[in-house]
Amino acid sequence: MKWINLILRLILGGIFLASAIAKIWDVQVSHVHGIQFSNVPDLATFARDVTSYHVPPRELANLVAITLPWIELLAGGLLVCGIWKQASALVITALMVVFLAAIGWAVAHGYDIRCGCFGTVDARKVGIMALAQDAALFVIAVWLAWRREDKPQPATETNP
Amino acid sequence: MRRTFQRALAIVVAGAALGLGANAVSPRRIPLLTPPPEPTKAQDTVALKDAETLWKSGTGYFLDARSPADYAAGHIAGAVSLPVEDFDDHFPQIAPMLTPDAPIIAYCDGQECDLSRRLMARLRELGYHNVRHLVNGWTAWHAAGLLTHTGSQP
Repeated sequence: MKWINLILRLILGGIFLASAIAKIWDVQVSHVHGIQFSNVPDLATFARDVTSYHVPPRELANLVAITLPWIELLAGGLLVCGIWKQASALVITALMVVFLAAIGWAVAHGYDIRCGCFGTVDARKVGIMALAQDAALFVIAVWLAWRREDKPQPATETNP
Repeated sequence: MRRTFQRALAIVVAGAALGLGANAVSPRRIPLLTPPPEPTKAQDTVALKDAETLWKSGTGYFLDARSPADYAAGHIAGAVSLPVEDFDDHFPQIAPMLTPDAPIIAYCDGQECDLSRRLMARLRELGYHNVRHLVNGWTAWHAAGLLTHTGSQP
């Protein structure tokens, strides 16, 4: 069980790390130019993707685009490193709820837009597939957040 | 459990602070609040009727700003694929057929789609001043029963 948890932790944390990096540094992959990225944080593309979801209030799309990838980066990094495992899995669970709601919103309104899940690295559009993949990640995050820690609580905590 | 929630909150607060800080010092910072959308100017858009006239006369260049997959699934007959998301990759192949004065019509799909508007902006930066975009282009063209093609060729 320990091994399974470790693998799930690395997968989920790794996915969050990768998607955060792709968004923050606007990573682009093309056949002609290979991998390109900005050498400074550049969230304009991601902000446009967030805006395209048309979730009100519209004005806050930029604020979401500025903060969300860094929360992903931190939570994913901590989960991979095995620091604050439960807390970072809890943050990722909450983020997955937000992502599922946003994609559900776009699908319900029939928006034909790019998911933006990994910045522009994947051209995936919102739809049932994106929902299914995010639902799978949500289940992993819930599992990691709600299971008991591997180590028993130190006895000193129960003493007065 | 309470400590887990406190730590989770700390991660969110620290992440948000990092994001705000990084954006503040980045030379490519974006405004904290999303600016209102630019109003559509009349000279930026082309009416379907006028686009059809241009198409029939064979003097207008139709550029499809959507992804190659969307283009292959169906496009305005004769339109060339120029996905704005990969503009730098695709434009060199298309540039030889355009002249600075050529009437160009960019389109994508959906009332809210801004790919065609962005393609128009990119082309204007390069000096193609006679470029406009057809709002809700693919749907409008298709719904009007005008000629369309499928596949990766115009």
